[in-house]
Amino acid sequence: MQPLALELNDLWFAYDGARVLDRVSLALPAGEFLAVLGPNGGGKSTLLRLLLGLARPGGGGIRVLGREPGQAGGRIGYLPQHTDVSANFPITVLGAVALGLVRPGFLGLCGLLGPAARRAEGRAALLALERVGLADQAGRRLSDLSGGQRQRAFIARAIVSGPELLLLDEPTASVDGKSRQELMALLAQLNRDMTIVMVSHDMGTVDGCVTSIACVNRGLHYHAESKLTPEIFAEAAGVDLKASCPVELVAHGAVPHRVLLDHDHPDCCGGAHRQADSGRGGGA
Amino acid sequence: MMEALGFEFFRNALLAGLLASVICGVIGSLVVVNRIAFLAGGVAHASYGGVGLAFFLGLPVLPVTLGFSTCAALGMAWVTLDARERADTVIGVLWAAGMALGIILLDLTPGYNSDLMSYLFGSILAVPRADLLLMAGLSAVVLALAAAFSRGLLVMSFDVEFARSRGVPVRFLHFLLMGLVAVCVVMVIRVVGLILVMALLTIPPFMAERRARSLAGMMLLSAVLSAVFCVAGLYLSYALDLTSGASIIAVACAGFALSLCLPAGGQGRGSA
Repeated sequence: MQPLALELNDLWFAYDGARVLDRVSLALPAGEFLAVLGPNGGGKSTLLRLLLGLARPGGGGIRVLGREPGQAGGRIGYLPQHTDVSANFPITVLGAVALGLVRPGFLGLCGLLGPAARRAEGRAALLALERVGLADQAGRRLSDLSGGQRQRAFIARAIVSGPELLLLDEPTASVDGKSRQELMALLAQLNRDMTIVMVSHDMGTVDGCVTSIACVNRGLHYHAESKLTPEIFAEAAGVDLKASCPVELVAHGAVPHRVLLDHDHPDCCGGAHRQADSGRGGGA
Repeated sequence: MMEALGFEFFRNALLAGLLASVICGVIGSLVVVNRIAFLAGGVAHASYGGVGLAFFLGLPVLPVTLGFSTCAALGMAWVTLDARERADTVIGVLWAAGMALGIILLDLTPGYNSDLMSYLFGSILAVPRADLLLMAGLSAVVLALAAAFSRGLLVMSFDVEFARSRGVPVRFLHFLLMGLVAVCVVMVIRVVGLILVMALLTIPPFMAERRARSLAGMMLLSAVLSAVFCVAGLYLSYALDLTSGASIIAVACAGFALSLCLPAGGQGRGSA
């Protein structure tokens, strides 16, 4: 039997008394590539914080790689949503990746590493950069990289410790369409060696690239499907598909054609959705 | 310049300036990359309460100010961690409260305190040997702590969310950083005064950040720039009979303006 990467059992979490996650249960086998979709405020990022041990649940159980959250150390790689990293921070690409090897607790704070330890860190960081295709950029300043390259560098930092589970928070949010496709291809490649849980609001990007989908909107519904269906889309977007205008649905990301074409809403937009649909030229 | 070096007060001033440069290079770089210049300004101005307290109690100024500003810094560190929503407002209140307390305590202190202005605008030409020794000791402590915790400070400064996820004790590091800022501020008060301290904490690191390839390189370059500003400012004040602290800051501001006209570096392998 496949071991479980994640076990959530009747989990709930509340901010100021209001439950943002309620009765969440999930048994995710190792090796999966799970996309966590859902509307803003639905609890996706809170779920990640619970998995990382950065927040404590109000109740219920969580096991990550068979242990309590926060106890798995370097077995978990994490890519936060990079809205707060200073663009001018003085660090090379190799230096940024090596930060992923910091040890937890006070032992990891010490900057006085011996030469052998420094060389070993450098080698590990370079290997991680090779895996994401950035080895030739190792000596450049991180701020000199493009948005897509920076995301690859941050993925390298997340995998430098050789994790079994990779948690990603909106990895495609700040990159252009081409880089997005390249990132998804890279993640599919990494998925051969590790379980991936990826939070995203961009539904079209994950469509067909993952092995399963979880829709989180206070509760969690797991679907063992790699492609979005109209039902999954409606659940993840938190909308009633039949009653919604397709043009508005496009705002939820690159909506696949089969989702838009699955329903017809003659009372709205005067056919504008058909123009939007044809203008997308291929969707998924 | 050689003529000026013949005077002990000028040699002391140079030494004080160089010590302040080293400490501002290290701590200022951490202030800039952590984007806590407003917090550091709050600590600097609140420390005036410590100056007032020292005068009121008739105690040595630097040790009392050090204790007071450290308490203020730790209070502000707590506010920024646990009451984020209105942290800037609370820091503004502590900033003003410290200064008001200092002024009231000085009002209540009998006699005329001619030395008072030196803490506001600096008196690098009147730094006594005892203060120099205290500055050297504090510099050694600050540098030792910054070196010992450099890895943690780097990880936290770069990406605090990632640092938390890796189990790095971010809370401890934040309090440590604010404590180091307090020590740095008290040291630099003698050089440029608490009103101008922000310039030395921010201008050289800002200029260095655009050209350095590592945080350590930024600290080094920042310390060198700071030393150049201090020496040039001191010479200017000696030659033109100007206030020394203001002259140092004027030179730093000129350097800042010049750096904005130059292209940012960091692309070449030879950068710091």
